[in-house]
Amino acid sequence: MAVATTAAPTASDEKELLISGSEAVAEGLALADIDVVTGYPIRPYDTVIQAIAKKIANGQLVAEYIVAEGEHSQFEIVKHASTVGARVFCGSSGVGWAYAMECLVVTPPLRVPMVCLVGNRALDDPGAFGVEHNDALFVRDLGWMLCWIDTSQEAIDTTLIAYRVAEDRRVFLPLAISADGAFLTHSQALTLVPPKEKVDKFLPRYDRGDLLLHPDNPITVAPQANEDWVIEIRRQNDEAMKRAVAVIEEAYADFRKVFGRGPENPWFEEYMTDDAEIILVGMGTISLPMKVGIRTLRAQGKKVGLVRLRWFRPFPTEKLVKVLSRAKAIGVVDRDYSFGSPFHSGVVANEIRAALYNAEKRPPLLSFICGLGGREVTLEDVYKATDLCYNAANSGKSEAKTLWLGVRE
Amino acid sequence: MADATTFTNQTQILEPFRGIKKVTIEEYFTSGHRTCQGCESALVMKLMVKASGPRTIVLGSTGCMYVANTTYYTTPWVVPWMHTQLGSSGSAALGTAAGLKALMKKGKMKSEPINVIAFCGDGGGADMGIGAISATLTHKEYNSLILLYDNESYANTDIQLSGMTPYGAHTTFSPPGKAHRIIHKRWKKNMAGMMAAGHPECRYVATVCASYAVEMMNKVRRALTIGGPTFIHSLDPCPKGWDYDPMLSHELGELAIETGIFPLYEVEDGQLRYYGKTKAIVEGRARKPVREYLLKQGRFAHFTEEDLSYFQSKVDEMWNKWEVPGVVPFRRVDAARTAATNT
Amino acid sequence: MAALICEVVYRGIFQKNLAARIARGIVLSARKSGRWGIAFGRYGDSPQRNGIPAKDFAIVADTKEELEQNMARYEPKHTDVTIVLDDTLSKGVESWAWYGLQPINRLTVPNGTVLMTSVQPFESLLQDIHKRDTAYKLSLVRAKASFSGLWVHKEDHTEARILGALAKIAPSFLALDGVSQAIREIEWGSDLKVASARKAYDRLETRQVKITEGNAEIPYSFEMPKWWEMREGVTIPAIPIGKPKEGGQGYVPERNPYFKKFTTRTMRPVIDFDTCVKCNLCWISCPDSCFDVMPDATFDANMEACCGCGVCEAVCPVESCITMVNEAAFEDNASQWEMWRKDKAAYKTWLTAKIGDKQTTVRSHGFRFRGQYEQELTRDLDGGGVEITAGIPGENAAHKTV
Repeated sequence: MAVATTAAPTASDEKELLISGSEAVAEGLALADIDVVTGYPIRPYDTVIQAIAKKIANGQLVAEYIVAEGEHSQFEIVKHASTVGARVFCGSSGVGWAYAMECLVVTPPLRVPMVCLVGNRALDDPGAFGVEHNDALFVRDLGWMLCWIDTSQEAIDTTLIAYRVAEDRRVFLPLAISADGAFLTHSQALTLVPPKEKVDKFLPRYDRGDLLLHPDNPITVAPQANEDWVIEIRRQNDEAMKRAVAVIEEAYADFRKVFGRGPENPWFEEYMTDDAEIILVGMGTISLPMKVGIRTLRAQGKKVGLVRLRWFRPFPTEKLVKVLSRAKAIGVVDRDYSFGSPFHSGVVANEIRAALYNAEKRPPLLSFICGLGGREVTLEDVYKATDLCYNAANSGKSEAKTLWLGVRE
Repeated sequence: MADATTFTNQTQILEPFRGIKKVTIEEYFTSGHRTCQGCESALVMKLMVKASGPRTIVLGSTGCMYVANTTYYTTPWVVPWMHTQLGSSGSAALGTAAGLKALMKKGKMKSEPINVIAFCGDGGGADMGIGAISATLTHKEYNSLILLYDNESYANTDIQLSGMTPYGAHTTFSPPGKAHRIIHKRWKKNMAGMMAAGHPECRYVATVCASYAVEMMNKVRRALTIGGPTFIHSLDPCPKGWDYDPMLSHELGELAIETGIFPLYEVEDGQLRYYGKTKAIVEGRARKPVREYLLKQGRFAHFTEEDLSYFQSKVDEMWNKWEVPGVVPFRRVDAARTAATNT
Repeated sequence: MAALICEVVYRGIFQKNLAARIARGIVLSARKSGRWGIAFGRYGDSPQRNGIPAKDFAIVADTKEELEQNMARYEPKHTDVTIVLDDTLSKGVESWAWYGLQPINRLTVPNGTVLMTSVQPFESLLQDIHKRDTAYKLSLVRAKASFSGLWVHKEDHTEARILGALAKIAPSFLALDGVSQAIREIEWGSDLKVASARKAYDRLETRQVKITEGNAEIPYSFEMPKWWEMREGVTIPAIPIGKPKEGGQGYVPERNPYFKKFTTRTMRPVIDFDTCVKCNLCWISCPDSCFDVMPDATFDANMEACCGCGVCEAVCPVESCITMVNEAAFEDNASQWEMWRKDKAAYKTWLTAKIGDKQTTVRSHGFRFRGQYEQELTRDLDGGGVEITAGIPGENAAHKTV
């Protein structure tokens, strides 16, 4: 499925390429001049490695390129390369990401600013290639920064921003960019690629500083620790994640200064929310059919808007609450599941419920589980969600808290 | 973005120490570690970095030499050291070497040969991490040494059996009981032989024992000098898990070799060379009976005469039947036939 | 008081099984008087290491409710009885997971008891045990430290004797009859062990310790940094490279400032610098890098770093050049080489006295050969398991047999 981009060609020094989300990430990686990259095959993320391999083969990128023997090694290799000062990249999808789980766990306390692409994919079993967000969400509590993108343009831009944020000494945390399998990783759109000089202005060199593992800076990294130390180490991680908020805002502001484009609000995209009675919330490419549906609904006089969440960690609690509190009802469309969670809702829905808990105005919230295993989210799904939200808005409460959309029943 | 540098992927040239008096006086692994009295693996760490010198980065996978050896604030390391996950010694070596190489090649870091050594225990290396080690040994453009310190159990976690625990040994996962005297009936993996045979472009594989300290250090120096990915398997007597008076660590190391249970050899560019007492065994010197080694350890105290003879027969096989004695367990079909007709 | 809190301080691995028997034995004995109890090892001591001090605890109480406040914790804050299974721990406990040196009587409540196996006189133990500002009792079971390994246990009745002694110290919780009954029923128990427990009860020696008595040294302590003072990325500085001993000669490695091995060893090497042939074997073979290289190319075992394994003695080719001697024979951790340099004749006298005392050079650090423990114990157990001077050095060092 091809996705049209809204970015118009400009007369700037940027070149316009017809590329997939994965290829756009690879363009960003070449511009960021990464030093070490590791790959291991799994659909859909591996298209980014295919694109990088071509760039390396053609001399467009000089980097150590290692095909690992499994995701566990893939992530460990870049973790260690990062500690000696290399800018690194890797990624995975679905159960591949799960296979690397041990290595994902250790990067935040080690303060390794690796940047990864998660090509979101349903978890086995059954083996399915289509998108679900549960893979990336594994690490939501562990100190990983997580963001979701929805276009190739956002893919390249976010790649550059990701290094700027992760490698900021105030942060030094790993960052995963999530891209929906198929809809983004495999479809090509017209994308602006900035020149290297501008990127260099925006993205400084990675400086590991006093944490550099090198004979000139003899340190011991990650010695074994007992209960006398661990809570302090966790508290440091907590602080780094809190500091990331300001660093992300700075990075987007600078991005706009240097490149002359990019969103003012880094955290989420608002579409027709100003006067919206119903606000739908989602992450990733789900935004595209939702926007189309909203335009139709608007034509029918229904005041519906969309919040597309870009950053899930750190979670933009206050900003989100401010927008969502204005609505008469909220419908959160999750492309994930959280079996047995409160109200058996989706992950994003429950996060937003928690965020709203202390808000003065708490509109009814409906959780929609939708598009699992890569099933398309249809306009009918959007209309149905809107109708249910209106019912809740009119009654002031929602009887059913969670609804599955597009499931045969 | 062209290769902007004088980077040549050289290694440090570390000549062998010609005798114990010529060994460097500096220590790069000192005190602060909390290993057992008589811990041979701690000695291996000390000798390993004494051999490699100060321009070295050490990566240590989970195990005794992580948990006991390097505790928060009480590190014994003079050289830079970093923990890696239990199965990650191969990946740690590879990633560190690749990071250094990339930065030096691209002119982002001063170009110089830095030794990269990743160590693992028998659990981390021969069980969980064998895949990653195997992969690393095929990446010939990255210089690193993987050193497996083999104390023949998961000694850190409470002495559980590993794929390297000898047949019949008492561990917390294989206690001798009334219904079953022997729980652990697997024969130990042949790690060094497997690594040498399975990785044609790995230029150096050796077995060592710290009872022979200078030889051991020289194998480390040779591995680092030759470069590319290299592998050393060290047999480390463990007073805790093997159950013996810590004073006898060296003696048990010597006995492991003299009984032929653990052969000492190096394989350089495909050439096999036995050394030390193993060389004498290959040249016909009698092996000591395995009981002299086994009955000095509490972990074999439950052995009957039958168990001792079984153990002896398996070791005899290594020397009498293997195609390359002590190293490669294959037998040629015709040779096996001949042996069959002779009996 | 309706609860009895006991700690068992012991040498890791060597006495792991023994300590567990004692801690469990306390609870099972008290159960015979209708008490409730729990037994646990200090989690931070695990994984244990040979020789590194470790602790087990046993708490018994009148009711289950009284136990609760003592559960789900690593270590009680106070103990009524501190049981010490190796008298060289009198010098203190620097355990696996603890930063700094803990006096052996630190947790013992005022007027509580430190119960120890020892053949030393009270006075020499009190030279080592740190002074404190409340009085307590020191009780001795007359026996040498019982060491064995993980798999083969030395049945020298130490556990029975400790339980018997405890019945004397805390009769309201552990009646002697209850202890006897528990020992008879327990998997390691026997009538002979019951006899040992009863003899220990009768023969227990106890002495009041006044606040004026004890070692006045202020033990090393360590202040934990705050979270924002710790370097990020779980990173700490490496140890600096060492320096020549003096005048550009010799070599002394830098050592970690936070963890010393002062209390890790039961024995230490005593070195005869006059007979040293400078072969370097002790220096190269030491897993703890404890040998400082002296300007004259001899080696001085630095007591900050020596954990007392004895490998140096085993590899030394010269008879009596390195001799492991029990820690109880030493008052300080001073350099032997400096003592020797200052006055060679005086050093010789000192050395001869130290290595000439067979009681302090006898070694019993675990398994050496199958049948060893039985050999050690034959003559001792006939009399009911008392007065054992356990420990023969094994077949490889017959010359050191008592």
